[in-house]
Amino acid sequence: MTVIRFRASQDQEVDLGRTYDAVVVGSGAAGGMAAHVLTSQGMKVLLLEAGKKIPIEQELRSMEWPYDHPRRGEAPPGYHAIRFNEYNVRQPPYATKSAFKHVFSYVGGWGGSDYVKNILVDEKDHPYTGTRYAWVRARLLGGKTNIWGRLALRLSDYDFKGKTHDGYGEDWPISYADIEPYYDKVDLYLGISGHRENLPHLPDSLFQRPNKLTAAEVTLRKSLATMGRTLTPYRAGVTTDGVKNRYRSKCFGRGACGRRPGGCDIHAAFDSPTGLIYPAMDTGNLTLRTNSVAHEVVVDPSTGKARGISFVDAQNHKTYEAKAKVVILAASTLESARLLLLSKSRQYPNGIGNSSGHVGHNFCEHVMGPGVTGLVKELVGAEPTLDDGKPGGFYVPRFRNLQDKQPGFIRGYGFEGGAGFSIFPDSAWNTPGFGGQFKKSVRDHAGAFISMGGFGEVLARYENYMDLDPAVKDAWGIPVLRFHYQFSDNEKKMCEDMANAGKEMFEAAGIEVVGVDKNILTEGWSIHELGTARMGTDPKTSVLNQFQQSHDVKNLFVVDGSSHVSASCQNPTWTIMALAWRSCEHLADEFKRGNL
Amino acid sequence: MIQQTAATAAAALALAKGVPGSGLQAPKPKFFTPAEFALVDEMSDMIIPTDAQSGGARAAGVAAFIDGRLAEAFEKDEPQRWRAGIQAVEALSQEMHTKTFMGSTPEQRLALLTRLAAAESDPKTPAEKFFGQIKGATIRTYYTSKIGIHDDQRYKGNVIQPGDYAGYDAT
Repeated sequence: MTVIRFRASQDQEVDLGRTYDAVVVGSGAAGGMAAHVLTSQGMKVLLLEAGKKIPIEQELRSMEWPYDHPRRGEAPPGYHAIRFNEYNVRQPPYATKSAFKHVFSYVGGWGGSDYVKNILVDEKDHPYTGTRYAWVRARLLGGKTNIWGRLALRLSDYDFKGKTHDGYGEDWPISYADIEPYYDKVDLYLGISGHRENLPHLPDSLFQRPNKLTAAEVTLRKSLATMGRTLTPYRAGVTTDGVKNRYRSKCFGRGACGRRPGGCDIHAAFDSPTGLIYPAMDTGNLTLRTNSVAHEVVVDPSTGKARGISFVDAQNHKTYEAKAKVVILAASTLESARLLLLSKSRQYPNGIGNSSGHVGHNFCEHVMGPGVTGLVKELVGAEPTLDDGKPGGFYVPRFRNLQDKQPGFIRGYGFEGGAGFSIFPDSAWNTPGFGGQFKKSVRDHAGAFISMGGFGEVLARYENYMDLDPAVKDAWGIPVLRFHYQFSDNEKKMCEDMANAGKEMFEAAGIEVVGVDKNILTEGWSIHELGTARMGTDPKTSVLNQFQQSHDVKNLFVVDGSSHVSASCQNPTWTIMALAWRSCEHLADEFKRGNL
Repeated sequence: MIQQTAATAAAALALAKGVPGSGLQAPKPKFFTPAEFALVDEMSDMIIPTDAQSGGARAAGVAAFIDGRLAEAFEKDEPQRWRAGIQAVEALSQEMHTKTFMGSTPEQRLALLTRLAAAESDPKTPAEKFFGQIKGATIRTYYTSKIGIHDDQRYKGNVIQPGDYAGYDAT
């Protein structure tokens, strides 16, 4: 089987003497989408990415067998991934005093660290301070989309109108009807795999061919249905039937997606470069500059409008300015907030777009950790089957606080899980003893386990925030973020319920529960950071309007997860892209009318 | 082709053992002394032995892989932990059988490992802790080896599925 890959179009020559129609900061899901939508509308766009462009297929090597790698997938000596205990015992910055040559976030410790050593940032160069936080960052073309978990879910009006539903927080300035057409566009343009379930709280996408389930997953699905709950095949941002895009292949179920931190070297899983940026380059309207570390939105003092972006070249450490009529931030939730706060001027002494004082506040994300592992006795000793040749396992959508009202907490959580045989028999770690009996036990039980872990909504609170550290700077001399954030009682109660409910659901399905994990993982672990520049109708309590446009500066937009008003419990990438598509269509209309 | 042939399995076995007359010599260890290597090789193969289904840790070259990683370890206390653990096992062997581990009979070695494994859930002595260490390394190395993945687990994945995915529909 030969997979034909096309080389991306030649980068356009970067001309910093020119004023572009728009400059976009960040090339992940949000920045890629902005580049796609604006260039397709004929706008001339400069895309700035802080990291490098690397030969990603050579990094990921999705089908490489462990034994064909000299260290079975591990990075060379001197690389270290921060462990759970380090996050919790120490305070940030975690890596500054480390004896290791390179230090990565915990994702580098999942096994296969060699495949992500050029994707994750080196924590030594990118410190942060304040409360404990497991901040996972990828600085390269495409950002975290190069290794994302692929679970692609829609939000519903249970999320957009959460305050109306339960009285907490703020409603979003949009409803599901506003964003639905853009979810459809994202589905069709990028491809998504899933099974229709007709759930009001987890709207269906326009699905391509779904994942299959394993035997244990079918057992659980049938049992959950009798409880009025759902187990659905993993809704993956993966094209299983193919899309019209010469840079991407459809999925062939090779199954490397679950065994490492992620990544797909045939780009069946969505990533921003092949899904959005290379096609945008083919329009001739996109100019890309990598190694461009943005540190300020530059203001025209006479108009108060944004004039462009000041950035440091990551290689020569010189500072440059890119000029544009519209400035779009898509640097990630935390980096975009940092950039707004860094952009202090006479007009905007608290940072650009921050007259409300809400930039960096109302942070929210997903809490995780609690989960359950079960044994399906009927599968012990079964013939091995191909269970992991697909983009993901299963998803159990939220079932709490929809019609019911839980006594201990508001909002809800979903479970991600999987079952069956995989390339490595994880149960070996917990199998006691040694010798022939040990070996046979591992073999007989390898395909008989099922496990799942919860992802719960962390409530957006003003008092959970990030600001700039007054003293600490990163490798480019830019002040770093300081965290002021911790879980509260609602998250803790929710996590207790996750563990209990998971156990009950397994038991109801006749699955023997062999492990219940009640520990909550460090703040940030879900890599679903949101909020910090939320949308809203009131400029006093929000940063952006419903089109992710600054209330204060009309030619400034922030199109990433920082705009989200609440976290919901569904994974955010698909919503980030649908929102960015909607906003950028509006932006292009306004631009053509001369309103920006 | 994922099935290992009998011939290559035999060759791997011969290589690891340095079988006289086979023309194959075990390579010199990079970190362990020959005596340490022999102990690690034997202990790993007792943890995951050859059975009717598949070759064990020795055939899979587990000790050689561990030796290579320790020889290049960045954290120097890691190889030292191994060396100290091996010495603790030797001391226990002297205490139990007044012989070195490799100088003991197979039954005596089995008695020693059985004693260490009994404390697996709550190891206290250095030798008991070493059992967990070598067992973990053996698991990690064996089940990422060709023999572990293909012969023992008979793993069906990491293949191209041109048609539908394997598995069941969500009905």
